[in-house]
Parts: sequence; C-alpha cells; structure tokens
Amino acid sequence: MAVDTFHYDNKIVRNFGIAAMTFGIIGFLVGLIIALKLIFPDFLGFIPELSYGRLRPLHTNAVIFAFAGNAIFYGVYYSLPRLCKASMWSPILSQIHFWGWQLIILSAVLTLPFGITTSKEYAELEWPIDIAITIIWVVFGVNMIMTIMKRREKHLYVAIWFYLATFLTVAVLHIVNSFEVPATLLKSYPVYAGVQDALVQWWYGHNAVAFFLTTPFLGIMYYFIPKAANRPIFSYRLSIVHFWSLIFIYIWAGPHHLLYTALPTWAQALGTVFSLMLIAPSWGGMLNGLLTLRGAWDKVREDPVLKFLVVGVTAYGMVTFEGPMLSIANVNAIAHYSDYIIGHVHNGALLWNGGLTFAMLYYITPRIYKTKLYSVKLANIHFWFATMGALFYVIPMYWGGITQSLMWKQFTAEGFLQYPNFLETVVQIIPMYALRAFGGSLFIVGALFGVYNIAKTALSGSLIVDEEAQAPALIAETENHEEKWHRRLEGRPLKLSLIVIVTILIGGIVEYMPTALIDSNIPTIESVKPYTPLEVAGRDIYIAEGCNNCHSQMIRPFRSETERYGEYSKAGEFVYDHPHLWGSKRTGPDLHRIGNKYPDSWHLRHMYDPNSTSPGSIMPAYTWLLKKETDVKSIPSKINALRSVGVPYAEGYDAIAIRDLKAQADEISTGLRENGFGEVEGIQITSEKQIIALIAYLQRLGVDISGNNNPFEGLPSDSRMGANVKEN
Amino acid sequence: MGVIVLLIAFSLLVALTFLGAFFWAVKSGQFDDPQTPSMRMLFDDEPVSKNNKTLTNKTD
Amino acid sequence: MHKNSLIEKNQCYHCGEDCSDYSISTDDKVFCCEGCRTVYQILDENNLCNYYNLDNRAGNTVKANLERKRFDYLLDLEVQHKLVDFKKGNTVSVTFFIPNIHCTSCVWLLENLQNIDQGVLRGTVNFLKRTVTVVFDDSKTSLRALVELLTTIGYEPSLKLEQLNEKKAHSIERNLWLKLGVAGFCFGNIMLFSFPEYLNIDQSDSSVMFKYFFGTLNIILALPVLFFSGIDYIKSAWAALNQKGINLDVPISIGMLALFGRSLYEILSGTGAGYFDSFTGFIFFLLIGKVVQKKTFDRLSFDRDYKSYLPISVLKITKGGELSIPVNRIEIGDHILIRNQELIPADSINTTDHLQVDYSFITGESEPVTLIEGEQVFAGGKVIGQPGELIVSKKVEHSYLTQLWANESFKLSQNKRPLTSFADRISPYFTFSVIGIALISLIVWLQIEATQAFTIFTAVLIVACPCALALSTPFTLGSTVNILSVNGFYLKNLTVVEELSKTNTFVFDKTGTITESNESKIEFIGEKLSKKESQILASVCHSSTHPLSKTIFKNLNTKELLTSDSFQEIHGKGIIATIEGVQVCLGKLDFLREKLTGIEFDISEVLHSGSKVHIAINGSYRGFFSIQQRFRKGLKNLLLQFDGLDFPQYLLSGDNEKEKSALLSLYKGWEEMRFNQSPTQKLEFIHSLRNKDTHIVMIGDGLNDAGALKASDFGIAVSDDKSSFSPACDAIIDSDSLGSLDQFLSFSRISFNIIIVSFFISLLYNVTGLGFALTGNLSPLVAAILMPLSSVTIMAFTTLATRLTAKKMGLKLWV
Repeated sequence: MAVDTFHYDNKIVRNFGIAAMTFGIIGFLVGLIIALKLIFPDFLGFIPELSYGRLRPLHTNAVIFAFAGNAIFYGVYYSLPRLCKASMWSPILSQIHFWGWQLIILSAVLTLPFGITTSKEYAELEWPIDIAITIIWVVFGVNMIMTIMKRREKHLYVAIWFYLATFLTVAVLHIVNSFEVPATLLKSYPVYAGVQDALVQWWYGHNAVAFFLTTPFLGIMYYFIPKAANRPIFSYRLSIVHFWSLIFIYIWAGPHHLLYTALPTWAQALGTVFSLMLIAPSWGGMLNGLLTLRGAWDKVREDPVLKFLVVGVTAYGMVTFEGPMLSIANVNAIAHYSDYIIGHVHNGALLWNGGLTFAMLYYITPRIYKTKLYSVKLANIHFWFATMGALFYVIPMYWGGITQSLMWKQFTAEGFLQYPNFLETVVQIIPMYALRAFGGSLFIVGALFGVYNIAKTALSGSLIVDEEAQAPALIAETENHEEKWHRRLEGRPLKLSLIVIVTILIGGIVEYMPTALIDSNIPTIESVKPYTPLEVAGRDIYIAEGCNNCHSQMIRPFRSETERYGEYSKAGEFVYDHPHLWGSKRTGPDLHRIGNKYPDSWHLRHMYDPNSTSPGSIMPAYTWLLKKETDVKSIPSKINALRSVGVPYAEGYDAIAIRDLKAQADEISTGLRENGFGEVEGIQITSEKQIIALIAYLQRLGVDISGNNNPFEGLPSDSRMGANVKEN
Repeated sequence: MGVIVLLIAFSLLVALTFLGAFFWAVKSGQFDDPQTPSMRMLFDDEPVSKNNKTLTNKTD
Repeated sequence: MHKNSLIEKNQCYHCGEDCSDYSISTDDKVFCCEGCRTVYQILDENNLCNYYNLDNRAGNTVKANLERKRFDYLLDLEVQHKLVDFKKGNTVSVTFFIPNIHCTSCVWLLENLQNIDQGVLRGTVNFLKRTVTVVFDDSKTSLRALVELLTTIGYEPSLKLEQLNEKKAHSIERNLWLKLGVAGFCFGNIMLFSFPEYLNIDQSDSSVMFKYFFGTLNIILALPVLFFSGIDYIKSAWAALNQKGINLDVPISIGMLALFGRSLYEILSGTGAGYFDSFTGFIFFLLIGKVVQKKTFDRLSFDRDYKSYLPISVLKITKGGELSIPVNRIEIGDHILIRNQELIPADSINTTDHLQVDYSFITGESEPVTLIEGEQVFAGGKVIGQPGELIVSKKVEHSYLTQLWANESFKLSQNKRPLTSFADRISPYFTFSVIGIALISLIVWLQIEATQAFTIFTAVLIVACPCALALSTPFTLGSTVNILSVNGFYLKNLTVVEELSKTNTFVFDKTGTITESNESKIEFIGEKLSKKESQILASVCHSSTHPLSKTIFKNLNTKELLTSDSFQEIHGKGIIATIEGVQVCLGKLDFLREKLTGIEFDISEVLHSGSKVHIAINGSYRGFFSIQQRFRKGLKNLLLQFDGLDFPQYLLSGDNEKEKSALLSLYKGWEEMRFNQSPTQKLEFIHSLRNKDTHIVMIGDGLNDAGALKASDFGIAVSDDKSSFSPACDAIIDSDSLGSLDQFLSFSRISFNIIIVSFFISLLYNVTGLGFALTGNLSPLVAAILMPLSSVTIMAFTTLATRLTAKKMGLKLWV
C-alpha cells in the first residue's frame, strides 16, 4: 500500500482550546478588575494580593502567555500536522508541553499577586519560572521541528515558516532578556543595569509583541482564512515575500520604545527607521488576507469564523500602521506614558489576537467534534459584542490618552504649567476609564457567549480523539548529479563568508559577554552611589508592589517635564539600577526626582491614605506597608547578588549590611516619631516596618545628581565601608 | 552601551539562521511552484474508505 | 456547495455540458456521454466524489472513448526511458503535461490517483505549468496503465514527439532568488549598521568602538554581495571587454568596484564609514530588475516546432495485427492506421478510398480534401471520419511538413537582426564619458589639491553608476508585457517589445488567422424550408462526418432527430438519404445533377463566394447553403487602422481564391494577395519583403506559417486556446484580442518613449551626483540617499507611466 495511514491528535488540540478559553476569561476578568480599580480605588478593598500594582502584571501575563499562548499552540497543533500530513512527532512531548505550560501559568498566578516579580514588563516571572519556560518552549520546538522533519508534504506552507520563526526568535529573546543572578529562591537581579537593562527589556518587549503576538498569528491567518473561505490565499507569492521581509526587519524595531529616554539618540533613531520600514510587509500581509475574500463577502456575511478573521486582520492593519506612527519621535512625545498606548495595545490584543483565536475556536471545534456549530446566531452576537466592546475600549483610551498628555504639556501665558497638579489631569480622564471598563465588560460578555456556544457545540458532538488521515509517503527525488556539483560550486564563496560571520558572532558574544554585562561604558557620574541596604530593601518593596506599573522614573528632556518633575534623567544615574524602573505608563506622576521633595511623614500619610495628602487620588491605600515588616534576612545574599552583577559593594559588606539597614531604619522611624507619627490609627510605625524601607528608597530617588551627600554617611559601616564605596 | 553589541550579535545570529533557512528553502525547490501549495492546503486528507461527501458540510 | 443544487437537470453531472436531447443516467445523475459516466463511476467506486464538491466546474468532457491499443507504444522501453524523469529500482517518476488541468478539483484528483491505482505512490501537480509528476511502482502498475487511467478520467496527457528529446534543468531561476535574498539581507543589515554614522554619533570612546565594530560587520556583510550576488555583472562586463565591446554591465561593474574598493579603504584606514549601504542597495535593486526581466508565462511555449505538434506514436499494421510504435521509428513502407481526428505523422500513400483529410493547419486549405486510393497524403493532415490506412513513403524528418525546418532560408532566419537593448547600445558613450570626467577631475584636482584627487576620482565613478539606467528598461518593459498579457497578447520576453514597437509591415495568413477556424457564416439561398424539412435535413447532416454537414446541422438547430430509412454518403460529393419517405439529396451541384436527372437549377451561384451545399428534396431543387468562413471580430477595423498609418499589408493564404472577393470586401487596400501558398513559399515571400527599413510582422496560426513567423521580424501566432499548439513565434495573441493589435502596437511604442524619459531622469540623478562628487562633497549619507532614491524614482515612474498610458488607451490593467 503506497498510502500511509496516520492520526491527528485532536485531544491535545481540544485541551489547548479549553486552556485558551479558561485563561482568556480569567485574564479578561482580571483586566476588568484593574480597570474598575482605576475608577473606584477602594473596589475590593485594600488587599495586598488584589492591589492594582500586583494584578496588572497578572493581567498582561494571563492574556499574553495564557490566552494568546494557548491559542497559538491550539492553532499550531491543529494546523501543523495537517500541513505536514503527519501526526505530531511525539504525543508525550505534546503532553509535557501542554501540562508544563499550564503549570507555568499557574505558577504565575501563585507568584505575581504575592509580589514575586522581576518588574520587567511581559517578563515579570522570577528566575525559576524563566527556566521552566525555556525548557517547555524547547520541548515545543523539538516536537514541531521533528514533525516537520517527518512530514509527507514536500512543500512547507508559509504558515509553517511563521511558526518556526516564532519558536526560534522567542527562544533567543527570552534567554537574552532573562540573564539574571538569583539572590534568593524567588528573587533575582538582572545582569544589566539602567539604560542597558531598559534597552534589552524593550528589545525583548517589542519583539515579544512581534514574535509572540504577531508572527504565530500571521501563520494562523495564512492557514485559517483560506480554509474557512475554501479558496486559496490571494497571492501565495506575496505571502512568501511577506514572511521573509518581515523576518529580516522586525527584530530591529525594539528601541522605539525608549524614545527621548537616556538611550543614545542614534539607537533611538534606528528603532524609528526600522519600525517605519515595517509598514510595508505588515500591510502586504493584511491585504493578502483580505483580498483572499474578494468576491466572497456574501460568505463573510453569514460565517462568524470569517467575520472574526476579517475584523482581526483589519485590526492588525490598523495597529501595524499605528505602531510605526507612534515610533515617530514627535508623535511618541505625546503618546508615550499615556493611555493612548493602552488603547493601541488593546486594539491589537482584543481584535487581532482575540478575533483570530475565537475564529479558530469556531472553526476547529465543530470539526474535531464532527458536528455543526451549536448556534451561528449566538456566534454572531458574540462577534458584535466583541467588536463593540473593542471600540468602546479603544476610542476612550485614545481620547483620554491624548487629552491627558496635552494637559501635561499645557503652559499658561505666563509660562507656568497650566495643570501643575498631576491629579487634575487624572481626574479629567476618569470618565474615559469608565467607558473603557464598559467596553471591556462588553467584550467579556461576548466571550462568555462564545465559551457557552463552543461548549454546547462540543457537547452536541463527540471528540474524534484520533482523526484518521491518509497521505502518500514522501519519496526523495534523485537529483541530476553534475548539476548538484555545479550548484555547490556557485554557493561556495557565500557559504564561506556565512560561516565566517557566524563564527565571528559566536566568538564575539562569548568574548564580549562579560564586559558588556559588567562594565557598561556609560558616562558615569562621580556622585552617583549604590543604594544602601535599607534602600535596596525599599526598592524591592517598590518592585513587589508594582509601583512601576503606574509611575515612571524617566524624566524626558521636555520643558513640560523638567518644570513638573525637575532635572531630566541622565543615563549615568541608573548605573546601579538592577533592574531599571523607568516604567512605560504614567497613571501617576513620574517619581525620578521624588527624593527629598516631601518629608518622610508625607509619604507615610500618602501611603496609608492617598486622599489625605492628595484629595481625589485614585492611588490605592497601601495600609499593609505600615503593618508588614521588611524582610531583613535576605539582605546579605541580595548584596552579594548585586555585587556579582557589578554594584561596587566592598567584599564582606554583606556581613555588616543588616547593621547599616537597622541604623538607617531607626533614624527614619525616630524622625517620624519626633514629628508625631510614632503611630497611625493605632499602628505602631517601628523601624522594622516596610514603609520605612520604602520611604528610605523614595527619598533617595534622583538625589545623587546634586552630588552633595553620601548615603552611607552616618551608617555604622561608614568608617570602614564608606570610603570603599565612594571610590568606584 | 556594550549591550547593544550583544543585542546586535544575537539579532544577527537569529537573522543568519533565517538566511540559512532561506537558502535551504530555495535550493530544495520550496519556492519553485508559487501556486499549487496554496490550493493543496485546502484539501483534507480523510481516508477514502470513509465517504468524502461529508467534506462538503465543512465549507457550508 | 453541492453541485446538484447548482446545476439544472439537463446538464451533465460530470462536465456540466448540455445534454438535453441524448442523456445517459446513473444513480439519478445525468451524463452527456459514456466517457463522462465512466469517470463518475470510477470516482464513485473509489469514493473520490469530493472531486465534484471542491469546484463545480471540475469535470472535463471526455471526447473519444479510449481504445486500448493507442498506448501500446508506452510499453516500449526506449520510449519509457525518454519519458521518465528518473527510475530507481521499481520506483519511477514521470511528469505529464496535461492541458486539462484547470481548477482545484483537478489538483485534488490528480494528487489522489493512488486511491484509484494501487501502483501510484504519489502525484504532485504544478498548477501553473499544468503538469503532474507521478511517482509509481512499476511492479504494480505501468506507464501505459497510468496514461490510460489519466485519459479515462478526462486528463489525457499531451504526449508529443518532442518529449522523445532530452529535457533541460531549471536551476538558474533559483540562483537568482538566492542572490536577491543575500543582497536584500546584507543591504538591510548594513543599512542598520551604517545608520549611527549618519546620526554622527559623538566622539566618546564607546562610540568610536562602535564605529569599528560596525565597520567590520559591514565589510563582512558586503563580501557575499560582491562575490555572490553581484559577480554576474562583473563576469558579463569582463566577457564584453574581451570581445572589445561595452555593454551596460561595464559601467555597472566599474561603479560596483569603485564603491567596494573605496569603502574598504575608508573603513580599514579609519578615514570614513564607507559606502557599503549604497553598494549593497545598488546590487539589490539591480537584481530586482533582473527578476522582473525573467518574467515568463508558465503556461505558454514560444518555441514549438512540428515535434510538439506530431503525436508521439502511431498504429502500425503488422501481420500480428495492430501495434502502436513511437513515431520516430516509422520506416518507409510501414502500413499505418490513422483514426478520426488523428494526425498523419509522415507523408504516405493513401490506400483507403475517399479518405478525408483536413490540412487547414498545415497548408491553410479551409476545407477537407477527399483522397482516393493511391494519392499522396502529407504529414500533419488530420483524418476526418472513417479511419485511413496508409503506406509510409517518407520518414517523419523528411516529410512535407518537416522539410520546412530543413529549408535553407528557414535556417537563415534563425539568426534575425541582433537584439541588443537600447541600454546596451548607449552604454559605450556613457562609460567613456564617465571615465573621461573621472580622469579630468583627477588631473584637475591634482593641480588644486592632490590629497583630494583620489577621493574625487572614485567619487565620480561611484555616482556615475547607471543603476537607475539599468532599471528603467526592465521595469518599463516588465509592466508593458504584463499589461499586454492581461489584454490577451503574450510576449515571448521583454526584449521583443522593442522589435514590436518598430514594426511597420504586416503579413496576414488567412485560414484560422483572418477567418475563424471553427465558426463560419452560413445562409440559405432559395425557397424557405418548412420545419419538418429542416428537421429531416438536420437528421441527415447529423449522421455525416463532413464538416460542412456538421455546420449545417448546427445551423438548423433541431433538437429531436429522426432515423433515416436509407443513407448513402459519397465522400467529397454529397449525401442522398430517405427519412419517413422523404428523399433528401445534398452536396456539390454536379453531384445533384448526376443523382437527380431532369430538374432545372435556376440560380446564379457566382454571386456567392465560399463553399456551397445544394439541397434537393423529393427531386425538386430547393436552393443552397452558402457557407463562408467568418472573419474575426474587429479585424476590418484593425486593417483600416493600419491602413491609416499607411502600413503595407499583405495576405498569404494556403487556400484557393474562392474567398478573394470576400477578403477584398473586408479590406480592399491589400498590398498584395497570394493564394495557394505553400509554407516554404510563405517563408520565401517574407524574405522577399525584407530590406533595411521594413520591420515585418507575420500573423499566422498554423504550422504552415511556422516558416514565415520565424522569418519575419516579429511573428505573432493567433490561438483560440492558449494551451493548444501554436507554432514558434515572438508572441501569442488570443484570437479575440487580435482586433486591438494596433493598440498594442502603439502602446509598445509609447513604452519606449517612457524608457527614454526615464533614462533622462536617471541621468539627472547621475549629474546631481557628479555635482557632489566633483566638489568633493559626496559623503556616504549623500550617496546612501541618492542611490536608492534614484532607483525607486525610476521604478515608480516607469511602472506608473506605463499603467497610466494603458489606462488612457482603455487597456485592461487587471485580470
């Protein structure tokens, strides 16, 4: 028999589908919760685990890695075997992949709300989980590549190329961005500091979007649009060009996330240029998808699958146009740090990723259950809820973003800030936040309809666990011999130079790694000093509470910002920041020059009840900071970890660090007591409290530039360590 | 900004891997036929022992 | 999606043809013929009926139902060896060209053959080329079985004599893509690494470190571009110089080398960032131009000769009975059997009485000739009606049809006027002036400031790079050829456009070119026929194989037919038959005279050109059908258009003069009309027209025009169906588009003006560049902006200009 019979594993597909839906709903709900928290700060009370700063990373991670991630695998595990005419290489690996991934997600749920985070956007998970991710990702890759090796269809359909690109690039990105030195089991410090950390982070951050939320979904588009419309893609040639041009440019666009930051200007400009270049391939892809449906719009009108695909691809077009525009410096100057970006992101997330995912669910479920969709009507309702929801979400965000950002920049005729009080600009856009929440809930309701519809469909049929399939085996063609030899000859000079480049690169990386990581040739500022142990502890609290989700620490060189916040940030100020905390969003004001701006007591009151110091603030109260005690035991290991990534703490300083910490803490707490803040509403403010550490850190922010104080002065170690610290 | 060198090195490495892939693809004639694959992917390879007429429902 | 719902009752379930009057049906499905039914049954047995669901235009009408003997020759080992791509053990791979491939279903079915024939291992279709590559196990099935299977299911492979020659490989295309890929890749990255320089990064030690880092990377990345992507230009330039000639590649190579050398020097000496981005971009764009230039029409072939027309095999009659043998093994004296619609492979002697042969494709005679025993039959003729038994008198390669290719003047016309592109012609001047300017500037600057001199010198060579110049031709012609193809005019390649634009003399073939090959104008002269009469007449004509009878039958369009009590057809003369007591007699006038004596014919048929079929019913003469071949639509207008441009127009016909009057009424300005022209005469005629300022277009369709088409400066083959045979030519034109040939012509002219304009634009860039260069201001940034800018301008300009012109001229832009 020339024809091989084999099976498609629909069970794993089903599982990923369920996972995608479940975590999708969870992710959306968390999103809704934090959206509501911006309107009603006391919504759900002030429980640390449910505070905005801790839930926001949970939301992003759930939506990106749990929802979109599982959706990607859902699509890949369905389409890849069918395109290769072969079953997945190893069912065991498939299982490991599935359960491994779900465990990773679970661990995210179990760490992020408890303040265990690296604070690096979209890479918040701590080092043990990072390792787990790497392993599982490789498992996925191996399974995929081996399936491709064992395929029965000679040609690799363009979708497969997109899948491969996803695997390889994400692997590299994740690894490079996760170079970190563990301090404790659940705490690590990145090897990069300040500007470098920021650059790596956004090189990753952008490409995470590029290669996790775009390329795999493009592959999905190239598979499901033709399938659903039952007609070939508009131009297959174009799709091939689309892939290669995208692949050769995408990876360079990262730096545009750091415009006007302390990043060298030319690096910023690079980001801009390459982002702009991206419009071409992106739109090529979009048009290719849409033109496939030309003459089939009647089909689109009735088929929910196509509806979702169309709106998804259209959204992709919008976002990929918006992106490059946003990377133009002047536009970025306005949009950056504002809610506009949130709108931009959700435009893509809700319609492009969400739309395609639901399209897949509606397409695949009836097929693997050998039945019809339970209710097309309901699916259409879902479609409208989703689209309307997205619109109600995105438009207010655009509006609010621009409004607020303009208010930030508004000057009076006399040359003063029109709205010196940041809070005014916040209050202004709360209605927009409300609308956003409404849009979000619409989307969720739609999604719930979807889940119900899918579930009913599944129940009405029975899963074909192993779908039988037949295809002729692949026969290797014996090529004409001298022709081959001929070709090899032509390929030679180039092969050589390729090998040369690769070796040089690898060599270079190995050679250069240590220098690149440890001594960053940043113009160092003499007066900038490492953090004291207490400040380190405070900084870790700042990270754990996710303050960086609402507060930036990067003052851009605009008059509007220097007026409001003080001197703009210099690259040299961040050399000891492992990780950087520049942030990407200003729901609250920038904090880089908050040090010495207010008395300690102000911070105490503000943390305990923001409205007491700034009426109308939507910042949640952090009452627990006054109750919980700072984790002191881990300080020595943290000091060691930081030293190993290049912070010049003297050898052996870790031994006496705790003494310094206690001393500094006592100083602050006594200071507070003297000003009548020994206790707040019956809570004793002792030196062990977290609030003390946090205050210490906040008061240190951005003060070194003035260069008139040594933070280690007056600390027990000063006599011995101070000197050592001074000369770095 | 030493790290830039590092990033470029890594990026180039990735890019070169793709260039290699591109080579393999072209040489092994992956792109010789820029039309049929897009039609072929439309077919479901159900075993012929079953009645393939059911296939039509899928496109309904 | 269900076919049944889409198609009315009276359409064939398989091929969708109308079969209201005679229909066969199996499980509630209707079929137009046995063939179609068989296909359906085969597919049904093998559960392949999805075929009908994928695409509802799927089925192909199965014409003749198959006789097994036809493919015996495929058992012949030598034939097999010639046909198969490769054979390893029992595994055999063979590629067939199947004109019938037309939709998704075709691809699906042909890639599921293994479900019908266990011996098939896999089938791979190339839709554009309309080929299927079948790998099979010849211990389980055979080449012959395979071909038979394909034929039965309506996908008869076209097996032509040419396939007995060797095949050629196709790795050039791939190499071009590789080169483009590498160039693109390096261009992108070098651009990235050159960028910091343009934003003149500060002088801090770190930045300097970057300078070197990026510099080295650029050098490394530029190497493959020079030695792999760009090497062809240098090679070709070298070749040209060796022959003391200068083509466009010479200045290109000079520029390339200047760019590379200068950049290398700058980086290594640390004096600058180099021009590697310009260098790589330059080659990248050039290669894009090359890709455009390579455009071909996968489905068309422009260099066919008789080998691709003649069948691959023929039935030989031996004592042991019939046996099919490959045509190239026919020996003089062989007895061969040619059936209805089959081609005669070699000149032979007819041994059957009243053998009807259609020579229209070979000689241009519109009407089939009837041959009696012992007459000569010529290769290429198509037998109609009853099969003919022939005795081969000449081998294939010496036959009437093929001698044309042996003809001296034909061989001569192989080498037409040399096709050098405009760009190549001007490049010597270009090159010399560039070098001149460079040298002068060198000398001058040596006086002013010696240190600068070298820089200036190289700078001049760099900016003078004719990148844009090299792009304008391929891009203009590329889109021209595209637009023409959309409008049904397919050019062999880009270079022929120039020749087309020059043409000023037109030679038309008659049969199949001016007249439509199948359609014909028919009218009845005489007293009107009653419904009954015409029904009877139709029934009689239906049972005759003669094309004229067929035409009349079509014209009478009667559904239900009557069966004749008596039927007698004297080939080449007429038919006499009786139906329901009514006696019908139709045919040549003298045939009627001979059959029915004593009735008078009172008509003057001289008024009517073309052929006539006279009718007598129950002994009384009723009149005649005058059948004229119909002239193609829009032709009159076309001829007049050319007349307006006073282009001399000639007519060559292999046919007799009977339609002369009609041809004159179509257009009286014929420079000359020649009838009864043999292929060789046509060829000679073209030669006779040749002189230095005539640019002759030959427009023909048949093999009889092959010589003329080749001899002319621009041969256009008219074809009703692109996939069917058309003789060697420079362009193939859809018969419906023939009318707009004048438009195509002027379009090609305009596109040449566009090229000239774009040349000036690109020269403008060069001059601007020179400005920078001579004053010593050609910074890498300037170069990096100027170079891509010029290329992109040219691409955009040429493409837009051509498309706009086309739009203005009312040509289609999209399929």
